[in-house]
Amino acid sequence: MKRQDFAHLMIGLVVLAAAVALPFYVDSRYVIGQVTLGLFYAIVASQWNLLFGFAGVFSLAQMALFGFGGYATAMLCFYFGMNVWAAMPLAAAATVLFSLVIGAACLRLSGAYTALLTLAVAQVMYLLIVTDTDCFIMVGTQCRQFTGGAVGFARFGDLGTRAMFKTKYLVANYALVVILFTATMLFTWAIIRGPIGLAFRALRDNPGCAMARGISRFQMQLLVFGLSAFFTGLAGGLYAAHFNAIGPGVLSFSQLFFIIAMVVVGGIGRLWGPLVGAIVLVAADEAMREIGEFRSLGLGVIIAAVMVLMPNGLIGLCENIWDRLRRLRTRSPALAAEVSGDTPA
Amino acid sequence: MDIIGPVLVSGMTTGALYALATLGLSLVWGSLGMLNMAHGTLLTLGGYAAFTAASQLGWPVPVAVLAAAAVGGLIGALIFMLVAYPLSRRNPETFETTIMIATFGVALTLENIVLRLYGGQPLGQPLTVGGSISLGRFVLPWQNLVIIIAAIALMAATALFLARTKAGRAIRATAQNPDAAKLLGVPVARVYLQVLILSGMLAGVCGVLVSSITQLSPSLGADPMLKAFIMCVVAGLGNLPGAIITSFALALVEALVQFLAGARWGFPALLAIVILVLIRRPGGLFGRVEMRRL
Repeated sequence: MKRQDFAHLMIGLVVLAAAVALPFYVDSRYVIGQVTLGLFYAIVASQWNLLFGFAGVFSLAQMALFGFGGYATAMLCFYFGMNVWAAMPLAAAATVLFSLVIGAACLRLSGAYTALLTLAVAQVMYLLIVTDTDCFIMVGTQCRQFTGGAVGFARFGDLGTRAMFKTKYLVANYALVVILFTATMLFTWAIIRGPIGLAFRALRDNPGCAMARGISRFQMQLLVFGLSAFFTGLAGGLYAAHFNAIGPGVLSFSQLFFIIAMVVVGGIGRLWGPLVGAIVLVAADEAMREIGEFRSLGLGVIIAAVMVLMPNGLIGLCENIWDRLRRLRTRSPALAAEVSGDTPA
Repeated sequence: MDIIGPVLVSGMTTGALYALATLGLSLVWGSLGMLNMAHGTLLTLGGYAAFTAASQLGWPVPVAVLAAAAVGGLIGALIFMLVAYPLSRRNPETFETTIMIATFGVALTLENIVLRLYGGQPLGQPLTVGGSISLGRFVLPWQNLVIIIAAIALMAATALFLARTKAGRAIRATAQNPDAAKLLGVPVARVYLQVLILSGMLAGVCGVLVSSITQLSPSLGADPMLKAFIMCVVAGLGNLPGAIITSFALALVEALVQFLAGARWGFPALLAIVILVLIRRPGGLFGRVEMRRL
């Protein structure tokens, strides 16, 4: 366990150093913008990984939570004139409550039933927002729906970075997202290496045995829904504040599966899987921009092919290669078996 | 009492469509334990195949419908051979979730191929029947009658196939217990392939029927698939007769809510029913709660 902690710490420091170095070497606003977006995805993906990869709950409501956080932030600012910074933590807390309700509805379900129920919740949220046409208040001569309707909310207030850093505000926003990402990873790491993380994994691997050993499935499932929602909601709020806009697009099916694809490509149940997946998929997405029309098509092929050909993702693939190399070096089958016996986190 | 007529007509029509979509989905779930996220795309492909055959190649109507079934069956077979079979061989424990993600990838790919080939604008399905019969104030368009009859005929044919033929018996045996079926000489992999082909063919024809009352678009199958999921869950995944009864019942409820409260409340009402049913009976209305050995 000690050596693994050290490895995670080293990887974390390298990632952080790279993230800090990026704006000094790259001047393009476009690249910074895309990396910021990729980090938002990585945050959501890491929380979905906590839910599915570690606790084994196949929920499809993760983007709905992200959207909930974004919408809550936007609506608090829009209707109550709140400062964005005050609205974000409130919105994150509201997201946790929303997630607990979803978790409670799924309590007695497992596997595909959980997936379908959460998918239906997300889809209902999307449909109710998109088809909302009743006037809630009038802004000037225009009618505003309570949920913003198909257009969503825009210009409800920003992070204040524009006023402080003028043209460099994009880098400042990027720094904020890097900080949030770092906090998310520390939080995730703290959970998975603690007793709660062990309980999650026990319930994932064998619910029956875990319950027989005194782990409450009821408590743990509510806990994982609540824990994974906080940073997702906060990221949603920061996303809304960063773009100063939020619309129903974040709730769409393709966004959800973009997140899932990241976890799958990186490695399900691996701490750094979501980040690796986010980097690879955002890069692939950029590369496929050249052939514009085939972007989603390529994404679909990548998801299906990775699932079939390397179910443990890129990190799982690296672990396999690493194990084989070590086995070649030690040459002693007994020792090799002992060495590779420690389980990956 | 003016709403009873329209609610009945629209509820029965959508009920028939949901039932047909649910049948294919439930068949695959019941025998392979696989939730096919590409099922909606199979509907879309069927609709477009019939459109191509009828209006672009000028084939007669029955041949066009057969073409839709053939395309659906072919893609179903490909999904099994390229995705489901390798995945189930490789890691049977995580198959339940991995197959959902993988088939979603397939759905995304196929939907975008359709988008490339036909463009995003909605197209009219040429296989439609005009006119209606009216009994007093009760108006029933021929199109809806055709859909209801075709769907019921297909369901009856599937039921007969499952109950009376040797292949159908093999499918039921495999669904009950794959290991026992294998020991008794049933070629389980071939049965799975047959199930996916059958489900694909049903989906193809269902797509033609769906597009005949709406329009052809690359996301044609998404809504029926989501509804089919809900029917499957309420009925208990894998239970065919239960799924059909639930489809009709929930479609009538949806139509009623839509007429009374507005179209946008139909789906939330369905969701509320699902949650209430699942809280009382986590295995669905007709489902058996699975016993798992530790």
